[in-house]
Amino acid sequence: MRDNDGLDKNPHISRSALAAIHSQVFGWALSRCDYDPMVAEDLMQQAYVELLSGKARFDNRSSLQTFVFSVVQNLARSRYRRIASRLRLLQAAGAVDTTVQPKEPHNNDALWQAVQELPTQQRDIIELVFCRDMTIAAAANVMGVTTGTGRVHYDRAKKTLRAKLTEYGVGFDD
Amino acid sequence: MTERESTLRAALRKAQAKHESDGIPDFDSVWAAAEREAGAALRRRGIFAGVAVVAAAVVLAVGVLPMNLSPTNRLPTKQQDLRYIDTDELLETTRWSAPSDSLLPEHQFDIYQEIPVLIESTETYGGALL
Repeated sequence: MRDNDGLDKNPHISRSALAAIHSQVFGWALSRCDYDPMVAEDLMQQAYVELLSGKARFDNRSSLQTFVFSVVQNLARSRYRRIASRLRLLQAAGAVDTTVQPKEPHNNDALWQAVQELPTQQRDIIELVFCRDMTIAAAANVMGVTTGTGRVHYDRAKKTLRAKLTEYGVGFDD
Repeated sequence: MTERESTLRAALRKAQAKHESDGIPDFDSVWAAAEREAGAALRRRGIFAGVAVVAAAVVLAVGVLPMNLSPTNRLPTKQQDLRYIDTDELLETTRWSAPSDSLLPEHQFDIYQEIPVLIESTETYGGALL
């Protein structure tokens, strides 16, 4: 971390350190918004605004990546809470159709599809541990759950994933 | 980590890379946009604080100052004090006494007319009426 590019309101964060994890943050933001790049960019920009304004303050208690991921996670949650409450209002007013349309899988990759079909918490921990090189403790921190709960999600995710891959005929046996 | 997990991890990364490799926005442009937004938010907060201060000042001016300027709270002016001084009386005599009436309230009542019943006591204390 360079001394001269620390943020005014977040002295433990430097611009260069953020630039170094930029693509990882974007990937995480993408997975928070069903892989919509525009929304992901907006989420990432909002996260940077939180860091610049000092609303989200980093104090070196975790790694910078874990911290920024948790900021993105919280922003995504509040964004979807807002959207959900607006939808409820619209539904109450009878303005929108409430039937849920099934989504097409993003591609036919069986593994990817299997991961995407996991329950949210299991999918998140698999993504953080497998794809973002986080420990279970760090991943649990990002998700806002205890390490014990994180371990439970991780174990269940692996079991579910194994069953799904067997079902799809994809083998990852030793 | 077992070999199965390692294999799974590698395969998952490869699958995920397909979805994340395209369209990563440039850090500098995202950062610049974030800086602009943070600056705008700061300015908005400044404007809001300014408006709040002005509004508070207006409320004080409208609510408090007239209360202080109402006739009951206003301090007597020199002109009002002078109304008790009779200029002719002053010029016609060499004697002058301070206009002590100016210290009295404006309403002067007749004690015999306005308070007809005087409180009296028939009980004595040490030979004197209470």
